Amino acid sequence: MAVLVFPVVLTILVSFNGSQFIEFPPKSFSMDWYVNIAKINKIGEATLLSLLVASLTGILTVLMAIPAALAIARHGFPAKAMIVAFLLSPVAVPMIAIGIAILQFFVWTGLPFNWITLLVGHVVLTSAYPVRTIVASLTLSNPSLEEAAASLGANRWTVFRTVTLPQITPGLISGFLFAFLISFDNYPISIFLVRAGVTTMPIEVFNYISQQLDPTPAAFSTIYIVIVSAIIVLVERRFGVISLSVRG
Amino acid sequence: MTDAGAASGVAIPVRRRSGGGSRRWLLIACMLGPLLGFMAVFYATPFVYLAQESFQSWDGEDEPKAEPTFDYYKKTFQSSRTSRALTRTFRISLVSTLIALVICYPVALLLIRAGPRLRSGMLLVIFISLAASLIVRNYGWLVVLADQGPLNALLVGLGFTGRGLRMVYSEGATIVALVHYVMPFMILPIYGSLLRIPDSYSEASVSLGAGPWTTLRKVVFPLSMPGVFGGTILSFAICMSAFVTPLMLGSPATAMMSQVAAEQLLVQQNFPWGSAIVTILTVATFAVVFAYGWIVRRVMKADV
Repeated sequence: MAVLVFPVVLTILVSFNGSQFIEFPPKSFSMDWYVNIAKINKIGEATLLSLLVASLTGILTVLMAIPAALAIARHGFPAKAMIVAFLLSPVAVPMIAIGIAILQFFVWTGLPFNWITLLVGHVVLTSAYPVRTIVASLTLSNPSLEEAAASLGANRWTVFRTVTLPQITPGLISGFLFAFLISFDNYPISIFLVRAGVTTMPIEVFNYISQQLDPTPAAFSTIYIVIVSAIIVLVERRFGVISLSVRG
Repeated sequence: MTDAGAASGVAIPVRRRSGGGSRRWLLIACMLGPLLGFMAVFYATPFVYLAQESFQSWDGEDEPKAEPTFDYYKKTFQSSRTSRALTRTFRISLVSTLIALVICYPVALLLIRAGPRLRSGMLLVIFISLAASLIVRNYGWLVVLADQGPLNALLVGLGFTGRGLRMVYSEGATIVALVHYVMPFMILPIYGSLLRIPDSYSEASVSLGAGPWTTLRKVVFPLSMPGVFGGTILSFAICMSAFVTPLMLGSPATAMMSQVAAEQLLVQQNFPWGSAIVTILTVATFAVVFAYGWIVRRVMKADV
């Protein structure tokens, strides 16, 4: 456990150090590196684009995963095992292979490269996660409630909206969260799919780290970790997504 | 979208799962359609094209020759840079996975034994590190292992070494960061499978006179094999395809397969060779995963 926390704590300490270089123990206190974040090339627009792509990735994957997960959890159909394996496989395929394959596909078909290209790549990469979490919460939910609602005369849509949906909300939320965070942080796919003028937050932060040695990325990392921790704590309190992910 | 059951009142109970008919197939097709269609177009098709591209020959001209060749596959194994990158990728992935397993198994055991407060605290830390950006986490290791960093300060302070050691930009640094990266993927499946073992099993073992170590070795560990299998497979696959981590913590001399492929594509612009390298990497990863699954099932007779 110490190994997990160690680099995070040290990064936070270094972000407040006054020195130009990474040094330990810290000798002086300063907030300069937080101000310096603004100097990371195009960080504002890159972060905005990352937020946009990650949000849309989360929404699209969840919207497509809900009916697919319902079909997988509640119905039998031919070649089911193969289809499920196919839908879950992007998790085990090397990310850069996905990036390269989609890059060549876009070159080959002559489709334009813009932020939608990124979105396509990220949806392919992340869609397996919402499928998993929603199937997991469907198997935990109680189908007899749906049957009861249907036998009382509710139509499919009403059953889904009033009975199924509330039961699978934790699965939706954690699926969205996984897709969002993986998309927001992605480098290996994005690097192949961006073109002049389009850039994402991980790409710019990575470029900065490979060119400069000062602790600005530590300040950036600290902010990132604080925000992500806050989101996870809040979502866990409200929906209990952790236990779901362990079981799923 | 009313159906027969709803239209005629309450008389007909759920027919939708047991009943057959073309309407049911249509419904299932509509449910799977969007995701399956999307993945067929933007995931399966690009991979078919990638594999096809890897058999093209390329001599720097725009027009590739017509006949398919295995040139770039041969070249990958013959070139010392790519063949060494391949063995290095296997070595790094194997070592990182084993270290992660040794570190994570006790953590998963601790999670089972811990009280509810400690357990949820630990799970929260694991999830936060899972969600914290990979670049951020790797940067953390750049800090820890830096020439003037805390680990060197500690080593010098304890008198192990006169001046700081050079630890970053090496294979060792890459392994350390990869182990850190895969830890949540190792802990969670093992914890999940430990959760499914009823307490009474180890109680029975202890009451029959087995010590805690024997109980762990003979009862708990074999029953947690599905989790160990899942965790090691996932960790190995993640390490095999590692790209950002060796890029940040390694050097060109310690390049892994993903880097070599990216170099061919982005720098040399040699698409067929880059495609051949990622195809080899993907096939190699899946081959190891299947072989490992087969060994665990057949030889060790574990039910996973």
